[in-house]
Amino acid sequence: MKPRFILISLTSCTGCISTLMSLDIFPQFLERTRIIYFPFISDAKDIKECEIALVEGCVSEETQIILLRKVRRHAKKVFALGTCACFGGILSLSNSKIAEPLSNYIEVDGIIPGCPPPSKLFGNSVIRLVENKDITLSEKNMCANCPIWEKMEINFQINITKINPNPEEISLNEENSECFLKKGILCLGPITRDGCEHKCIKMGLPCEGCMGPVSKDFTSNVINFLSLIELSQELKDYTGIFYRFSKPKMKR
Amino acid sequence: MLKVVDVCKRVEGHGEVRILLQNDEVLSVNLEFEIYRGFENFLIGKNLFDIPKIISRICGLCYASQTIASCKTIEDIYNIEVSEHNILLRRLLMSAELIKSHSMNFFFQTLPDLLTIFNLSQKTFSPYELIKYYPQLTTSLYDLIKVGNEINELFGGRSVHLISLVPGGVIYSPSRKSITLARKYFQKALVILEWIIEKFIQLFANQTPPKEFDLPKFISLALTNYGNYDRYSGSLRFKENNKNFIEFEKQNYSTYFGKEINLRGIDFYFENEKNVIVGPFSRFNIVENYGIDEIPTYLDYFNKSWKNNILFTNFIRLLEMYIESYQGLQILDNPSLNIREKLPSLNSIKNLDGIGVIEAPRGVLIHHYHLNKSNYVDRINLFIATEFNLSLINDMITKYAQELFERTGDINLVKKKIQMIIRAFDPCISCATH
Repeated sequence: MKPRFILISLTSCTGCISTLMSLDIFPQFLERTRIIYFPFISDAKDIKECEIALVEGCVSEETQIILLRKVRRHAKKVFALGTCACFGGILSLSNSKIAEPLSNYIEVDGIIPGCPPPSKLFGNSVIRLVENKDITLSEKNMCANCPIWEKMEINFQINITKINPNPEEISLNEENSECFLKKGILCLGPITRDGCEHKCIKMGLPCEGCMGPVSKDFTSNVINFLSLIELSQELKDYTGIFYRFSKPKMKR
Repeated sequence: MLKVVDVCKRVEGHGEVRILLQNDEVLSVNLEFEIYRGFENFLIGKNLFDIPKIISRICGLCYASQTIASCKTIEDIYNIEVSEHNILLRRLLMSAELIKSHSMNFFFQTLPDLLTIFNLSQKTFSPYELIKYYPQLTTSLYDLIKVGNEINELFGGRSVHLISLVPGGVIYSPSRKSITLARKYFQKALVILEWIIEKFIQLFANQTPPKEFDLPKFISLALTNYGNYDRYSGSLRFKENNKNFIEFEKQNYSTYFGKEINLRGIDFYFENEKNVIVGPFSRFNIVENYGIDEIPTYLDYFNKSWKNNILFTNFIRLLEMYIESYQGLQILDNPSLNIREKLPSLNSIKNLDGIGVIEAPRGVLIHHYHLNKSNYVDRINLFIATEFNLSLINDMITKYAQELFERTGDINLVKKKIQMIIRAFDPCISCATH
C-alpha cells in the first residue's frame, strides 16, 4: 500500500514546499504516495489518518497549535520540514511575534533542516520517508568538510569585526583560500550542521547558520565558540547574529 | 449574522475566505490572511547589507524579486549605478524565478479550474491524477519548473533564497559551462512553451469565458521601459480603460498611493481607488511592445471577451514565460555577461531614503527604506503586489457571491466558485503576510 502523506505550512515563506515541488523526484513522490491533505496543490479538505506528515513553518498563532496537535493525532510520524519548523526560523529576529519550532508543542520524529533544505539532502530524505526509513543527517559541523578550511588555531583570540564582507571584498571560490574567521568575518560554520554542500562559502560568503545546530545544546555551543573569538563592540550590540534562525532555550 | 469561513485551496500560502450572511443575503466576502510576520518591524536597526538576505525569506516563490528590490533600494541609498554585467545576471535570475513560479501556478493551481470551467473535465483532481491526466503536458510543465530551478541554481548558488544577490551586483562570473547549460534550458523552454501556447489556443480561443471572471472598471499599474516589456528598469505607469496613462518615477509614488506600515492594504489617492490591478494582466494592458513578433499574433487568437477577463491571465503567464526564455537567450549571447569584474565598493551613504522598484512575477513590488542620522534603518515600507490587488479581488468575489447565492442559495457552491476567481489572480499570500 502506498504511504499516505499530509503536507502543511504554518507560518512560513512556502520556500520548503516550493523546493520540494521543484525536486526531480517530486512526480515520483506523488506516484509512490497517497496525498491526504496538501492545500498548496490539492482540494482535499480534511486531515485524516496518514503515515507521514511533513510540516513547514514555525508556530506563531494559537490556531496553529490546534492544527498541529490534530496533525500529530492523525499521523504515525511527523517531520519538521525546514529551519522554521525545526528551530523557529527567521521570525526569531522578531521581538513581538512568537516563532517556535514544532517540538515546543508536539513530539517530532525527525527534522529536515535548511533554509531551504538543500536539494540533495531533501530529495534523499523524501525517498527514505517514502520507503519507510529514517532520515540520516550529518553529525559534523560545517568546518569538517569546508572547502577553505584551515586548522583553526584556538590558542589565540580571533578578532571579529564584521558579519558580512563588503561587496568589493567578496572573492569567489577559486580565489577564496582563507578561513573567514581568520579574516575577521564571522562565520557560523563551527556551530552549524554540515549538509548544505557549503553553498554560501563557495560563493564567497560566510555561513549564517541556516542549517541549525549540530548538537541539541546550541547555547552551550555558542558559548564555547564565543570563548574562541573576540567580537567587536558593534557586533556585540547587534541582535540576531547567533539566534537568527532560532531563539535561545528552544526545545529541539 | 452568520460567518462562513473556508480555507483557500491551491493558493500560495495560507488564506481564508470569510463570507458574511444576513437574512439569506451575502453581505460581504473577504480574502483574509490570518498570519502577520512583521518584517517591516524586525528589520529596523539591521545592517543594510544584512537586509536583502533576510528579506528574501518573505517569500519562497518571489525570493529573487524581493532580494533584487532590496538591493536596488540599498544602491539608491549609496547612489551607485550597477554595471550592465550585473544587471544581466539579475535579469536571468528574475526570468528563472518567473518561469518556475508561473509554471507551478499554471499546472497545480489554475489548470484544474480551467478544465472545470470549460467543461473539459468535471473531476476534482488529486495531484497525482492531475499528473496522469495529460502526461505530455505534465512532463512539459515539469521541465519548465526544472528550467527555472536549474538556472537559479546555476547563477544564484541555490534554487530558493539565492546566495549570489548582494547590494552592488551579483557574486558570480559565469563559466562557459553554465552559460552553455542555461542556453540549453532556455531553448528547451521555448520549444515547450510554443507547444503549450498552441495547445491553449486550440482548447480555449474559440470559447467565451464566463462573465463572473470579467473585471469591473480597473486601472492597471506596472513598470515599463517606454512601453517595452521590462521587469527590471523603467518607470511606473497607471493606465485606465486602455487609453490614457500617467507615468511617474519611483520617488513620486507617494503622490498616488501609500500605506500604513504594519497594516495590510494600500491606499490610493484618486477616484475609483478600489480598482487597481497589478501583475501579468496589468503588464499586458500597459506594455505596448514585447519585442517578439509572435506575441501579437498569439494575442490575436483571442476575441474581445477574453481581454477583459481575469482568466486571460493564464494565457498571459504562458506568453511571459515565452518572452523571458527568449530574452534569457539574448542575455546569454551578450558579451557583457562574460566580463569579469569586482563588485563596487559601497562606502559612503548619499541618501537617507532609498526606493527600489521591480516587477515581481505577480506585479509591482516597491521597497522603501529610511535611515536616521546615524545611518541606521529606522523605517521600512514594503508594497507587495498581492496587497495592490486585494481590494479588486474582494470587490469581485463579493459581487459574484451575492449574485450566485441569490440565484442558488448554495453556500458550498459559492465557496468553490469564488476560490476560482481568487486563484485566477494567483495571490502570493506569503508576500502579503510579510
